[in-house]
Amino acid sequence: MIADTKEIFENYATAKAFCLTSAFWMMVATFYGLLGATELIAPDLTANIGGIVFGRVRPTHINLVLFGFVTPGLLGSAFYFIPRLLGTPLYSERLGVATALAWNAALVALVATLAMGMTQGREYAELIWPIDLAVVAVFALAFFNFTMTVARRREKILYVSVWYVLAACILTACTYALGNVIWRPNTGALVGIPDAILLWFYGHNIFGLLLTPLSAGVAYYVIPRATRAPLYSHTLSLLGFWSLIVVYTHVGTHHLLQVPVPTWLKVVAIVDSVAMVIPVMAFLINIWYTAKGKLGEIHADVGAKFVFTGTIMYFFVSIQGSFMALPDVQRVTHFNNWVVAHAHIGVLGFAGMIALGGIYYTIPKLTGRPLFSRFLADFQYWMVLIGMVGFTIVLTIAGLIQGNAWLNGETVYRVLPEIHVYYVTRAGLGLLIFTSALLGFYNVTRSLLAKRGAMP
Amino acid sequence: MYFPYFIAYIAIGLAISLALFFWALKNGQFQDQQRARFLPLRDDGGVQPARVSRWGRLQMLALFALVSIGLAASAASLLYAAYLRG
Ligand code: HEM
Repeated sequence: MIADTKEIFENYATAKAFCLTSAFWMMVATFYGLLGATELIAPDLTANIGGIVFGRVRPTHINLVLFGFVTPGLLGSAFYFIPRLLGTPLYSERLGVATALAWNAALVALVATLAMGMTQGREYAELIWPIDLAVVAVFALAFFNFTMTVARRREKILYVSVWYVLAACILTACTYALGNVIWRPNTGALVGIPDAILLWFYGHNIFGLLLTPLSAGVAYYVIPRATRAPLYSHTLSLLGFWSLIVVYTHVGTHHLLQVPVPTWLKVVAIVDSVAMVIPVMAFLINIWYTAKGKLGEIHADVGAKFVFTGTIMYFFVSIQGSFMALPDVQRVTHFNNWVVAHAHIGVLGFAGMIALGGIYYTIPKLTGRPLFSRFLADFQYWMVLIGMVGFTIVLTIAGLIQGNAWLNGETVYRVLPEIHVYYVTRAGLGLLIFTSALLGFYNVTRSLLAKRGAMP
Repeated sequence: MYFPYFIAYIAIGLAISLALFFWALKNGQFQDQQRARFLPLRDDGGVQPARVSRWGRLQMLALFALVSIGLAASAASLLYAAYLRG
């Protein structure tokens, strides 16, 4: 019996499956990103090839990044550390692997249906009804597995990472169903302004109640372990958790400040966007004080390095976001590449970096061997970092050009040549990130499947 | 009329959150916070601490230099572009 338990505890099939899922779909997702970036430079490149026109490539890219690369990556490490934090094996590895398989099936269906033009046409909620059901189901299954593990725990106190992961799974299952108007299979939408409000309530929850809590959960586990230091303050971390739940749920309408939604709702969204500084700083102060004086240890562990960099990006994206929610700022920054830059700092620089960090930190623990190549992981780190910072610079500049031009009544076709050079640079950086994903997939597969690790 | 959905959702969400919060309070989740800080480190036995190697430090310096050069190059091209425009 004891041997059985040990085996199950050390098998971690679910965590492995999710790490592999993430590494694989990162390749596909970044390929679609690169394709989209290329189409923005050369719009005729894929003319008449229905499946890969820009309008289909873009939603495929963002859905794959969110649900194919980042979320499974973060869940991969969560399926490792939740059982460890609770002192008990995962409730069901079999259910976990089945969840991972269903997840991948949903992703394949996602790519196929979007390529065929089957879409509900709402941002972040494009997927058709049967796939919506599958997404809700996989989050619900993951939540069930985690909750049953909590129920069987041997450690009484739930460490903050457990709170974050559980909340992310169940809140996403609920807000996904709501935001995709799942009770109306044909349209997946309400009508008019209420639909926009609902959509952006859901849309922002994808960052605020899925990516952010999962990333925070991973960082709260990896940083203390890599530095071999206790968390600076568990009370502060719980304060951060509850304030995130309260504040983040109200900010969605900051995406609609230039839309005729009720003013009171805009005011709530703006005030709470600024108030986001509370959960953000509660998290960052905690993590950075834990790591204080231990940057050497963080540098020595490539996974921790990714995670720590992700926390720095979280600082930038959140402070920037609070400013972007101010109407005067948004008059320039809305509806142009500034927002795309912000999105990439958030999803790639913060959540994506932490997902990769979680994977690289966890894999040696899953296999009992070092990574296949620490050098490749390090190389990928620099490629992603340079690519992401480069994106931020060129897209921000392009956004400012567009924003100012449109504010001054300039016509669009005159602005496009001005930003062309930035689009070219952006595609180059996209190539860097896509290549890094190829390296990452190779490294992750070799680390998980090969018998021996090869250092460095 | 969409408000009933929204109000029902808010009410259910609030009720569940409050129930969970009070469960946590009663269950002692907010006590023993000193011990909670150490939970991630608990099963640390046998794992070698990460070593900070000289090579690692050198690599960091080299990469830092590379990034600085990259940033300097970007700054230079921006300045040059500004100069050309002005
Ligand atoms: C304090 C935290 C944050 C605040 C206040 C904030 C604020 C905003 C605002 C106001 C916008 C809309 C900009 C516009 O359309 O003009 C926006 C867009 C966006 N944000 Fe954030 N943000 C925050 C953090 C994050 C994080 C952590 C992520 C990712 C994990 C993220 C990802 C995005 C994305 C992807 C968009 C683009 C949405 C679109 O498609 O239009 N944000 N954010």
